[in-house]
Amino acid sequence: MRAIAKTGLRSDMSERDKRQTEHNEYLWEGTGEPDTEIQRLEQALKEFRATSLVPPAFPVIDYAPRRSSWWLATTSKTWAPRLAAATLTLAAFTIALVLSLRESTPPDSHTGWSVELSEAPADTSLTTSKPNRKLQIQVGETFETNRVSTANIAVADIGRLELEPMTRLRLLQSAAGRKRIALDRGTIHATIWAPPGEFVVDTASAVAVDLGCMYTLSIEENGNGLLSTTLGWVGFHSSGYESLIPAGAAVATYKDSGPGLPFFEDASEMFRSAVSQFDSAKEGSAQRLAAQQVILRQARPRDGLTLWHLLSRVSEVDRQAVYARLSALIPPPADTTREGILRLDRAMLDSWWNALDLGDIGLWRHWERSWPGPETQHK
Amino acid sequence: MVTEAQACLHDSDATFVRAAQQGDTEAFGQLYKRYARMVHGILLGRVRHVEVEDLVQEVFLRALPRVCELRDTSRFGSWLATIARNLAVDHYRQSQTRPESPDDASDPDEQPAKVNVSSNREAAEILECVRSLPEAYRETLILRLVEGMTGPEIAMKTGLSPGSVRVNLHRGMNQLRQKLAIGKSRNASDSKNGTTV
Repeated sequence: MRAIAKTGLRSDMSERDKRQTEHNEYLWEGTGEPDTEIQRLEQALKEFRATSLVPPAFPVIDYAPRRSSWWLATTSKTWAPRLAAATLTLAAFTIALVLSLRESTPPDSHTGWSVELSEAPADTSLTTSKPNRKLQIQVGETFETNRVSTANIAVADIGRLELEPMTRLRLLQSAAGRKRIALDRGTIHATIWAPPGEFVVDTASAVAVDLGCMYTLSIEENGNGLLSTTLGWVGFHSSGYESLIPAGAAVATYKDSGPGLPFFEDASEMFRSAVSQFDSAKEGSAQRLAAQQVILRQARPRDGLTLWHLLSRVSEVDRQAVYARLSALIPPPADTTREGILRLDRAMLDSWWNALDLGDIGLWRHWERSWPGPETQHK
Repeated sequence: MVTEAQACLHDSDATFVRAAQQGDTEAFGQLYKRYARMVHGILLGRVRHVEVEDLVQEVFLRALPRVCELRDTSRFGSWLATIARNLAVDHYRQSQTRPESPDDASDPDEQPAKVNVSSNREAAEILECVRSLPEAYRETLILRLVEGMTGPEIAMKTGLSPGSVRVNLHRGMNQLRQKLAIGKSRNASDSKNGTTV
C-alpha cells in the first residue's frame, strides 16, 4: 500500500524561514513587502503557466427530456390530437393510480450498471485467456467474481469499481445523485469523479461515503475489513463512530465495533501495531491502555489524524493525556477550549480537525446527515 | 475573508453554471475561461507539462455532459477540481498500459511526472521540487507560483477554506524552501567533488 504524502517540517529548517513564511502576505495575496525568493520562483515558473485559455467549441448538449411526437401532437391546434391527449392523460392517470396502490418497486430498480468481466485461466502458464464478457447488474442484484476472475464496473456515469477475485457485492441503489452498493466480501478499488457524497458502500460494520476520491476497500468473510484512501478522502461511519480517512491513510473496520482509528500508512511500524492493538482490545483493558500510551508516545504531528479520533474513543480521564499530546503536536485553534474538547463539543472538535489541514469537515457533516446507516441486513 | 468582489464572482459563476445546465455552451465557455487556469495548475502537478493543455480541454469535455447533475451550483469549482484530479489518475493508468517509456513516472503522486520541455533548467528543477511535495501543498503552490492566483482566489475556485489554503501555502513554501536549500547545498558539494550531475 503506498503512502502519498510525507509531511512534517524537518528540524533543520531555520526558525527565521518559518517566521518569514507564516507572516508572508506576499505569499498569501501578492501584497505587502515583496518576498524576493518568491518573486524569483514566480519568475522562473512563469514558463509553465497556462498559455491558451480560449475555450474550444463545445458541443451543444440537450439536457432537457426529449419531447416525442405524441407530445407535439397534443400541443398542436387540431381537434383530434387534443382528444388523443385527453385520452392519454386519463390513461396515464389511471395507470399511475393503479401503480401507486401496489407494492411498488424502487423507481430506479431498472437502472443497471455495465460490468466487464475478465477471467484469467487457472493455469497461469497458458498464454491465452477467455475474452472479456460484458454484463449488466441491476438494482437488487448480487454480483460476484470467482477465484480467477476480476471485473470492472461502471458506476453509472460517476466512476468505476475494479473488483478483485472472490468479491461479492450487491447493487442497492442507482438513482440520480445517490448510488449505493453493499460489499459483502472481497476487494474493490473505487474511482469516483462525482461530487462528494454521491457514492456509498455499505459493509457489515460501517458505511463508506466517498468524498471525492479514489480508495480501496477490502472486507473479509467475517465482516472485518480495511479501507485505504489514495486520493481525496473517505468518511467511514457506523453507529456512534466515525472515521475520516484522507489520502495516504487507512482504517481497519470490525464487524462488532465499527471503524477503528485511522492512521497514516507511513507511520512507524510500532505506531501502526499500537493502533491495531487499540482497535481490537476491549474497552478499559490493560492491553488497550498500553496501546494508547504507545500511540501517544510515537505520534508525529502528522499523526494528529489518529489522535484527533482517539479523543472520542477513550474515557474522560484518558482524554486529558490525548488532549495534551495532540495540543503539543497541533495547537488547538483559538475558538476551542480545553474543557470543550474534553466534553467532546462537536463544534470545537470540528474546528480542531480543520486545523489538521486534512479537508474541511463541513463537507463530511453535510453528507453524513444525508446518508443513514446500512440499508439492509447482510446475509 | 471573502470580499464583495469575490462574492459577486461566485454569484456570477452560479449563474453561468445554471445557464450551462440549460445547454448554454457560451456560459460553459465563460466557466472555461474562469477555471481553465485552476484546472491547468491541478494537472501540472500530476502529469507531464507537454500533455497538460490537451488534458485541460478533456476535463471540460468530461464535465460538460454531467454539469446538469450538479445540484449545488456554488460547488462548481471543487467539482471540476475533482474531475481534473481523477482525469490525471486515468491518464496515469492509461500510460501504464502503453509500452513503457522512460518518461513515464511510476506513480502520479509518489513520483510526479518529469519535466521534459523546458528551456530553463532551473525552472524545471524548481517545478520538480514543487511536485515532490505532498499533494495538498503541491497543488496550492502551483496555483500560486505558476498560475499566479492569489490565496483568496485559490480558496474561492477550489472550494477549500481560506484557512486551509493559507496553511497549505505556508507549510508548502516552508518545505519548498528547505528542499531548494538542500538541492543547492548538494549541487555545491557535487561541484566541489567534481561530480557531474
